[in-house]
Amino acid sequence: MPVHTKPRQARVGIDVGGTFTDFVLFDPQREAFVYHKEASTPSDPALAIQKGLSTLLDKSGLSADSLALILHGTTIGLNAILQRKGARIGLVVTTGFRDILEIGRARMPSSFDFHSKPEAPLLSRDYVLEINARLDHGGRVMQEPDNAELDRVAAGLRKLDVEAAALMLINGYAGPEAEGRVADALQARVPDIAIVSAARTWPEIREYERTLVSGLNAYIQPLMYRYFQRLQSLLAELDVRAPLLITASNGGSLSLASALQRPIDTVLSGPAAGVVAAARLSADVKLPRILSFDMGGTSSDIAVSLGGQAEIATRTHIGGLPLVVPVVDVSAIGAGGGSIIWVDAHGVLKAGPESAGADPGPVAYARGGMRPTITDCYLATGIIDPATFLGGAMPLRRDLAEQVLSEVGAHLGFAAEGAAARAASGALAVATAQMATELQKALAQRGQDPADFTLVPFGGAGPTHANLLAVEAGLNHIVIPARPGTFCALGAATADLRRDFVRSLRTPLTDESCARLRETLQTLEADAEQWLAEQGQDLCISRQLIHAADMRYSGQAYELQVQLPVEPSRPLSMAAVAQAFHAEHERIYGFCDESAPIELGTVRLAIVGYMPSAATPTIARDARPPAPCAKRRIFLDESWIEADIYARGQLLAGQAFDGPAIVEQDDTTILVLAGWRAETDDLGNLHLALASSGQTSDGQAPGPEQTR
Amino acid sequence: MKLDPVTLEILGSKVTALAEEMCLTLQRTGRTLYVKETADFCCALAGLDGKFFAYPRDMGVSGFVGLDCLTTIQAVGPLEPGDVILTNDPYRSKGLATHLPDLQAIEPYFHDGRIVAYGWAFLHASDVGGKVPSSISPSNHDIFQEGLQIPPVKLVRSGRLNEDVALFLSANSRTADANMGDIKAMLAALAAGRKRVGQVIQRHGVQAFLQSQHDLQEYSALRAGAVLRRIPEGKFRFVDYLDDEAGKGLPVRIALAIERTGERIHLDFTGTDPQVAAAINIPSHGQPHAWLTLRVLALICTLDKIVPLNAGLLRPITVTTPPGSLVNPLSPAAVGVRHAAAVRVNDALNGVLGLALPETMPAASGGTIIPVVVAEPAAHGTGQNVQVIEPMVGGTGARQGSDGTDGRDSSISNLANNPVETVEAEAGVQILRYGLRPDSGGAGKWRGGCGQEIVFRVLQDDTTVLARGMERLRFRPWGAAGGEPGVPTRLRLNAQTPQERELGKIDTLPVRAGDVITLQTPGGGGWGSPFERPVEAVLHDVRRGLVSLESARTHYGVAIGERGDVDAPATERLRRQATDAAPAARWGSERSHWDAIFENDLLDRLNQALFAFPVGQRRRLRLQTFEAVLAQLPPAFPADAPAPKAAESARASLLAQVLSLEQLARA
Repeated sequence: MPVHTKPRQARVGIDVGGTFTDFVLFDPQREAFVYHKEASTPSDPALAIQKGLSTLLDKSGLSADSLALILHGTTIGLNAILQRKGARIGLVVTTGFRDILEIGRARMPSSFDFHSKPEAPLLSRDYVLEINARLDHGGRVMQEPDNAELDRVAAGLRKLDVEAAALMLINGYAGPEAEGRVADALQARVPDIAIVSAARTWPEIREYERTLVSGLNAYIQPLMYRYFQRLQSLLAELDVRAPLLITASNGGSLSLASALQRPIDTVLSGPAAGVVAAARLSADVKLPRILSFDMGGTSSDIAVSLGGQAEIATRTHIGGLPLVVPVVDVSAIGAGGGSIIWVDAHGVLKAGPESAGADPGPVAYARGGMRPTITDCYLATGIIDPATFLGGAMPLRRDLAEQVLSEVGAHLGFAAEGAAARAASGALAVATAQMATELQKALAQRGQDPADFTLVPFGGAGPTHANLLAVEAGLNHIVIPARPGTFCALGAATADLRRDFVRSLRTPLTDESCARLRETLQTLEADAEQWLAEQGQDLCISRQLIHAADMRYSGQAYELQVQLPVEPSRPLSMAAVAQAFHAEHERIYGFCDESAPIELGTVRLAIVGYMPSAATPTIARDARPPAPCAKRRIFLDESWIEADIYARGQLLAGQAFDGPAIVEQDDTTILVLAGWRAETDDLGNLHLALASSGQTSDGQAPGPEQTR
Repeated sequence: MKLDPVTLEILGSKVTALAEEMCLTLQRTGRTLYVKETADFCCALAGLDGKFFAYPRDMGVSGFVGLDCLTTIQAVGPLEPGDVILTNDPYRSKGLATHLPDLQAIEPYFHDGRIVAYGWAFLHASDVGGKVPSSISPSNHDIFQEGLQIPPVKLVRSGRLNEDVALFLSANSRTADANMGDIKAMLAALAAGRKRVGQVIQRHGVQAFLQSQHDLQEYSALRAGAVLRRIPEGKFRFVDYLDDEAGKGLPVRIALAIERTGERIHLDFTGTDPQVAAAINIPSHGQPHAWLTLRVLALICTLDKIVPLNAGLLRPITVTTPPGSLVNPLSPAAVGVRHAAAVRVNDALNGVLGLALPETMPAASGGTIIPVVVAEPAAHGTGQNVQVIEPMVGGTGARQGSDGTDGRDSSISNLANNPVETVEAEAGVQILRYGLRPDSGGAGKWRGGCGQEIVFRVLQDDTTVLARGMERLRFRPWGAAGGEPGVPTRLRLNAQTPQERELGKIDTLPVRAGDVITLQTPGGGGWGSPFERPVEAVLHDVRRGLVSLESARTHYGVAIGERGDVDAPATERLRRQATDAAPAARWGSERSHWDAIFENDLLDRLNQALFAFPVGQRRRLRLQTFEAVLAQLPPAFPADAPAPKAAESARASLLAQVLSLEQLARA
């Protein structure tokens, strides 16, 4: 593929959250970033984008036509799925499988709680039609619907009065072309109802999961279409004509046209964008093992990035439904800033799982919240200054926070004096212990040790809580990016084009099946190259193909995804495939069996179109210790201590200081504990390191001096 | 509780997460299907009393939180750092193991030279020898047929594997390598637990760690007591039946009375049948064992969603279990399929709690777990290809305020099903239908969940179909509060063809290419009178195809026309007539027929008399008694009702038998 270089024009990343819509503009001419936060408009999210973009252009002094690209993540699809407020859709399945969504994987959400209910199905049983069409597991057509059968089903769909319908034939994954023909024949009969073929959308074995991929796609497609229509017309009012890319759940992005066709690829893009930004930071600071930590209003998430690559999962859940398309692997670890603090009937202190959310929010917001939250604890312990929250844009009521927390303290039997601070500090310890144990579990599942990782916190509260979490979970090093509050928008602004492709083979690994594997990979490569070309390939400066396959030993019930050693010069041999599998099995499970036959499952291909990178500008150096701008009493470890306060904006590269200290900036507050040393690097990242450690486990000195 | 409320909460989350981390380590490094897919394993931390103070949530097998390690620990004598105990012996471990495939490993954790806790790991191994591959067969009638019994022994001494023990293990398993792989996974999990316990002690001190073991259990016991106080004081009794002794023989009776006093609850199993000569006995050793208390734990966890899981939950529970009964068998009773009886014990607990808490407890669930398996000639060589098609379960019972769940039942194991496509790729079958069974949920104001139905065609000759664990063919899942029972299990060959055959209960069935098997599982029981079900709810079920027009009319008194519209006057008429009729029978006719002959009082007396005899004689005496009575009844009893005269003479015969046994027993 030819390499193109574009004239260096500005790129904008947009992340829509529940409370704020964040903007990051990168101007390559000046090598500068411009940031903006706009209050979100949940009833019409495009409005906040129009308004914010206009302000952002003003701030940066650029005209609308100097924008080269807008990368945008939206939660419209996600919210529709979570609240089951998607389009009115139907489902057409092979005769005999009408209950595919009702039974699902047949598990109940809890083994013990007999009042628990299974996930609400995407659509009711009366919106499912059966069709006499079926394949066998080899992909041969066993039943082909004749015209009368197609007419009958088409009439049924019209009667249901749906906007879209998914089609899933049993074993369709083995012959997507055959299912496609049925889809086309139906589509010709009902031109107003979008027919989404499951096998075309995601030809992977496992009928329930594949049905959901196409069902969810159909469910959110009409909403996404209406949203982007609205957005484009609002952007046109600003004379913004730059192409729009949509960020994807796999950490990449895709063209608007592609996103409208496959909105399912975008549903988890919000959290993914932040992880991708952290993975990029990993390269900047030359730390290969990153644990990103996003603490928001209702919950906290972590994700692992190794060698600059965010980990990808193919078995996640969304609104109680399994999702098998590849997404950045994000794990929830518990409390967020809005999690509620309470005391149970037996006098034991609890944090969450209830949350005050964005509305009414913490008590200190004085918007009607009556129950104390984690954020109120930051205030009562003096960690956050009520006057400088969000750069002073939103003064908080510390007195209200203290009032409710002293009631908590009274329930815990604390003396009136200092009860609020003690209760707050106890609640932070409880929440931190929960988060730390969840973090350790998430890493144990991967066979990893927290001590080998650098924590990269972002989101409003991430940097505030990072040091507490690191101590409890056993991490020795933290890197706080320059603008943690708009980190997801930064991730969007720097996202590459990326899409995943699959085909399931399900066959023993032999020389013959290896030939099929090679053919399949070629087909997928051709599809991928064509897709990238359609995205507007002049956007990219290079591209990469990543080949993988799910494999297992014969008789095993679980599969392992293995990267395939595909080289352009040499055809992929069976021995090389087998070797790659044995090695990966050994790495993950600690054993392999080179004499056992291997089964080949799903073949995977990812294509990445790399965009020009947005180089982070360096900041000035100064070796002298920084001067604190104030001092403040904070309550830590059962006593009030005096902490130095620093302004993040005034810290220069190379400047270091010791905790206990607080660093304040417009979008967050950073807590530095005693025994930890903070130092700013040349790119403006703040490194916190355990003073006694000095070394990370991979033997490299952490941080600043390497970034020069 | 002596710890402060902050430290207690923090240590509570830490030790729970610690147990969960052990589970994750075991699952990641474990080797076999049971570990990877069905998650038949668990890990926990036991205190110095051998009881679990830290147990994982929603990971591995939840029900074993009440197991006790103490007998196993004491059996091996003094322990040193780096020792690991292994056992699978239900009798010598006093119920820590409940069947032989469950390998149990315990490691003492030391701090400053003394033991501060025990790590525990168990997993279901693929095979521990015995009569059949996988070691489990319902027809085993003593434990010696079920495989190698491993009394508590030191598998590892001071960190070194005891090679002699390993040799015995390997020589007695069909899957020696996989077993050793799984044992190594347990050792890895125990090592992970040891490391984290050290870290917790380093941060919080050994005193706080030891105190937390007591306080966490006390805290859970307090919370459990608060839930149990909702049960009215006084005595409630309930009787349920297994169809038979794992596929053959007489119905097996489970009788259960509960009585709450203060914050304690007593479960009395007196009246339950003697242990059976099939592998379904539950080795409880007279303790409030996991398999006898599961529904009580579920009740606590349903009404208190954040109570920490630990042995404190069982502290308010005491039991009476007659020695030598199904629920407290004596060695060498076979126990391999004890979960089959545990499912019905769970139903009985649910039923008796339902008498006490009618607004909380649901009606009976499907009450059966049937892994449908095909064994076909392997494509190459002489072996067999054995594949689970689907683990079939019924629907759940309805309760006040909520319909039952269609086609799912967490029962005692909450299994996931298999994708139809992977089944077809690996076994010579074609699945024609896998879905809900309409009209199977018990009618009620709240409808019982529909059962499942599977229809599949066999593609190869010389294939065998296995459907073990088929239950609820004879007695239906009962309804509650005026709700009707669910429709029973049904199995047919070549249904809706001239060759159709009603198969009833099978263990193994030889089939040929082209044969079509249809298995339907029971629906759950309904709750409340079906005539009080809102008309719109009935209409919605009809629209969704889960209730037929005919059923809407006959069971619910709702008249719906062919075009889907409710005929209001006809409905009013139907429902008015219905309210004059007798309330719907909650048991279904089969159980009513049975109870009319085999009255509860008489059967209680019968069992009381039988238990006066030595264990070895009870089975024969019971069989004689029933044979004499059943001889007076129609062959299809209890499905068919006996004529009044036959019924009378059967009752008289039963009474006479009981009287003579009572006399013999006194002598």
